[in-house]
Amino acid sequence: MDAVANLAGLANLNQERRLIEAAQSDPSRFAELYESNFHRVYAFVARRVSNRDEAQDITSEVFHQALRNLGRFRWRGVPFAAWLLRIAANTLADRWQRVARAVEVQADEARMENSADSAEDPAVERRAMLFELVDRLPADQRLVIMRRFVDQKSIREIAQELGRSEGAVKQLQFRALETLRSKMTNTSEEQS
Amino acid sequence: MNHLPVYDELDHAIDQLLGQADAETHNGPELAELLDLAQELRDLPRDNFKTRLRLELEWEAAGRTVSVAGNSAQQPVLAAKPEPANTESLPGLFGKVWSGYPVRRSNMALSFALHAIMVLAVGAGFVAVKSMKPQIDTHPYVSVHLQPYEFPVGNSEMHGGGSGGAHEKLPASRGFAPPSAREQLAPPVALQNREPKLPTQATVIAPEMTLPKSSEVGDPLSALRMASNGPGAGGGFGGNAGGGVGPGWGYGRGDGTERGCCDGLYAIGNGVSMPRAIYAPEPEFSEEARRTKLQGEVTLLATIGADGRPRNLQVVRSLGMGLDEKALEAVKTWRFDPARMNGRPVAVQMNIIVNFHLY
Repeated sequence: MDAVANLAGLANLNQERRLIEAAQSDPSRFAELYESNFHRVYAFVARRVSNRDEAQDITSEVFHQALRNLGRFRWRGVPFAAWLLRIAANTLADRWQRVARAVEVQADEARMENSADSAEDPAVERRAMLFELVDRLPADQRLVIMRRFVDQKSIREIAQELGRSEGAVKQLQFRALETLRSKMTNTSEEQS
Repeated sequence: MNHLPVYDELDHAIDQLLGQADAETHNGPELAELLDLAQELRDLPRDNFKTRLRLELEWEAAGRTVSVAGNSAQQPVLAAKPEPANTESLPGLFGKVWSGYPVRRSNMALSFALHAIMVLAVGAGFVAVKSMKPQIDTHPYVSVHLQPYEFPVGNSEMHGGGSGGAHEKLPASRGFAPPSAREQLAPPVALQNREPKLPTQATVIAPEMTLPKSSEVGDPLSALRMASNGPGAGGGFGGNAGGGVGPGWGYGRGDGTERGCCDGLYAIGNGVSMPRAIYAPEPEFSEEARRTKLQGEVTLLATIGADGRPRNLQVVRSLGMGLDEKALEAVKTWRFDPARMNGRPVAVQMNIIVNFHLY
């Protein structure tokens, strides 16, 4: 079973390498790398900043930098996500240094952080998986989750927007969370 | 399968999590896992952020820039920078606060350079115009005006009439016709009064023409040498009435009637049309006149024959500086649709006024 997992991992690495090489010769192919790493980078950043706007801003900067510097990337058998997270860590450190010297220690810690370890951070991976699963929810459940947790609207406001009863919206919220828990459990079991 | 109490319990716990409820309640273990997820979901990215960031990257990969501001009225600008006091909505050439406008500095610099060049070009144009000295264009301009020549005789066919003036028995004596004039003050006589109280030059009414200088006036066609005015009446020489010279009638010269001459010229008007120039190259401006900026008119008298060719060109009004010669030289080459009387081409005399102007 471990051999099969190792083979699958190797196949994934080979596929990622081909994607990187394709994107280096044709930048429009960068979208595929972006799709497969967006939630991981965002989750990594969101754990380290205090608000959503800043997390989105830094995530955007990370991918723009990655696109601009893709030509310098050299394949060393490390997942592409590790390179992205190192860019994210440096970006965070630069930002913190600009904000105040008081957080210099925090910045140094972030800079010292091993990007490979960050890529394997289970909390980051779990959060990235969760965010990705939200995108796969049925449309009505996803809408309730986005309104409730991103826009922070009340059940009543969401019910008015959707033209449904508050009870129905609560049911959708519950089912969405149940679905996410179920899929998270299944995915974790598959990975382990 | 009734989950309603769980829904309410979960929603109340989420309210607490989001800070929308004050009272803290104890949640059962079945909700703990869901609330852990809810805790994580508070950091979800905004709706469409992923899609819009991908769009930005695709545009950047294609070498372009894109504005994504205003893509969603519901959400703040994508990738809004966290500078709280800065609400700059347009990209700047310097600094990084672009508020969702992914912009290449090279493009901004190029745009700035192009605008600067345009401003400099406009400014240089103004300076050049201000410093330019006004110049007179010395390109010569020549206009030609055709004008009927005011004949010194009447408007009928001009075959001047002679007449006999003294009722003598002998025909008119031989001699030269007297000079031409517009009006006849005194008809020619064979035997002139040597001591007149009011000396007057005897003339006939006819176009000017060069005649031999002689004191012997008479009929050029006569063979008689003896002085006689002829058997006609009214003065002059000849056998008919009038004041002219010749066998005709009237005050002219020759064998016709009325006034005029013997050469068949017609006056323009009264049924005689004006010739029309059909080939009329413009005269050149002489270099001397151009240099001295001489302008003015040269008036030429010309006979336009029945064949449309100009003849007997004379300068009536001169301008000098070589312009008279230039006018003559050019008009000689002209061709006319000749004057016509009753559809028949006839020869006429006319003025040709050549205007030489510098503009």
